[in-house]
Amino acid sequence: MTSDLQQAARANTAAVPAISVDGLHKHFGTHEVLKGIDFQAHDGEVVSILGSSGSGKSTFLRCLNLLEMPSAGRLRILGEEVGMKKVGSSLVIADQRQVDRLRTQVAMVFQNFCLWHHMTVLENLMEAPVHVQRRVRGEVRDEALAMLERVGLQDRAGFYPAQLSGGQQQRAAIARALVMRPRALLFDEPTSALDPELVGEVLKVMRDLASEGRTMLVVTHEMGFARDVSSRIVFLEQGTIAATGSPRQLFGGGVSERFDQFVSRFNG
Amino acid sequence: MDWLFIQDIFRQMLVGIPLTLELTVVSLLAGFVLAGLVQALVSSRHGIIRRPAAAYVELFRGTPLLLQIFLIYYGLGQIDLLRQSFLWTLLREPYWCAVLALTLNTSAYTAEIIRGAVQAVPPGEIEAARSCGMSGLLLRRRIVWPIAIRHGLPVYSSEVIQMVKATSLASIITLNEITGITYRLASDTYRVIEIFTVAGFIYLSLNFVVSLVFAVVERFLNGHLADRRT
Repeated sequence: MTSDLQQAARANTAAVPAISVDGLHKHFGTHEVLKGIDFQAHDGEVVSILGSSGSGKSTFLRCLNLLEMPSAGRLRILGEEVGMKKVGSSLVIADQRQVDRLRTQVAMVFQNFCLWHHMTVLENLMEAPVHVQRRVRGEVRDEALAMLERVGLQDRAGFYPAQLSGGQQQRAAIARALVMRPRALLFDEPTSALDPELVGEVLKVMRDLASEGRTMLVVTHEMGFARDVSSRIVFLEQGTIAATGSPRQLFGGGVSERFDQFVSRFNG
Repeated sequence: MDWLFIQDIFRQMLVGIPLTLELTVVSLLAGFVLAGLVQALVSSRHGIIRRPAAAYVELFRGTPLLLQIFLIYYGLGQIDLLRQSFLWTLLREPYWCAVLALTLNTSAYTAEIIRGAVQAVPPGEIEAARSCGMSGLLLRRRIVWPIAIRHGLPVYSSEVIQMVKATSLASIITLNEITGITYRLASDTYRVIEIFTVAGFIYLSLNFVVSLVFAVVERFLNGHLADRRT
């Protein structure tokens, strides 16, 4: 469903990365979680972020839309530097309105779906486009319904989240992110809270999005998805990028000993 | 059973219902506004703001309402400065003393109810709202408050019922609401069992209506809990 307009926009801005960070540091108290990460995601890239638990991968992803404030470093979204200012020893958001605007451009999909339980699925989808982006309600409604159809939930528009299975809730959450027309999608372990038999339906939606040329950053433990779908792997270990490259390079083995060990634990 | 007598006292007591309801509604409305303010202060990051507000809540929850009514009705009159101020035109009336005591009392409880309801909003749903570009008033208006109301309403219905009953203490400072009338009837006739039973029945009926109203509102708000496909 990529429109010509979107493609044209991508062509124009191909040189500007959708997301770019320099020297990203994050510590909680004395515990250093991210130790200086440089990273860029270009339009159309699907980046899988792998690493064992505690490697900082979720924190890294959450820093990219400032759900977590970096301790140091620079963040640019669509080429626009995100304003942060120092208060005491920590950074805070300098301009909340800028951050609110940019957050709709890097939409987040959470491990626990985090749909708003007091709203129907359709209301969940329409909330941000209508109240944050101030788009016309009728148009948003049509787009939301179309998006629900794309994730296979056209007959669930009037349901409340509690009436859906985990897989359906996550697909609804992905649709909620898409209706904001973001330039990039951030997935924070989107299948980790799902029963094994429900993982497939969510991964299928994500594969479809990837094949459309969506820009996606995915923190995941799904090695199959990382190997087959992503265009690039970023392997985090102890707060630094220990290895990065195409899935073919990394999964071929021999690039990084630590990565090979990490992967063998999944295959073992 | 003397039905004629019961009908007679029942009619006399009905006269007290408007005042009972008025005391309840006025104090609840004023108390809710005050509670919102107190709750905002209680959740402040600065101890110098938070601690007095927390002390206020503890003070009014921790002392009997009857004492609060006595202090306001009998006590304030001993402060000369107050007697000379314009406030005295209000505070020398038992009605306004009762309203003030009831308002302060319910505001302390309601502040706690609001705090609990806001705290019970799932952090993930707030985070999802932030990640969709919401912040400040928009975030509160669209996500936090609607969810908090659904958590707080069942608890608040108990507070409203408590308040309907608490107005009976206003009879002590000469107000002729239901209990005031009841007490006068009892001391005139000494037919204690019939009179207090009928009064109890009236309070029970009022509170039944309160419960019913809250049940209807809750049902309306909690479509997401009903196992109903829309």
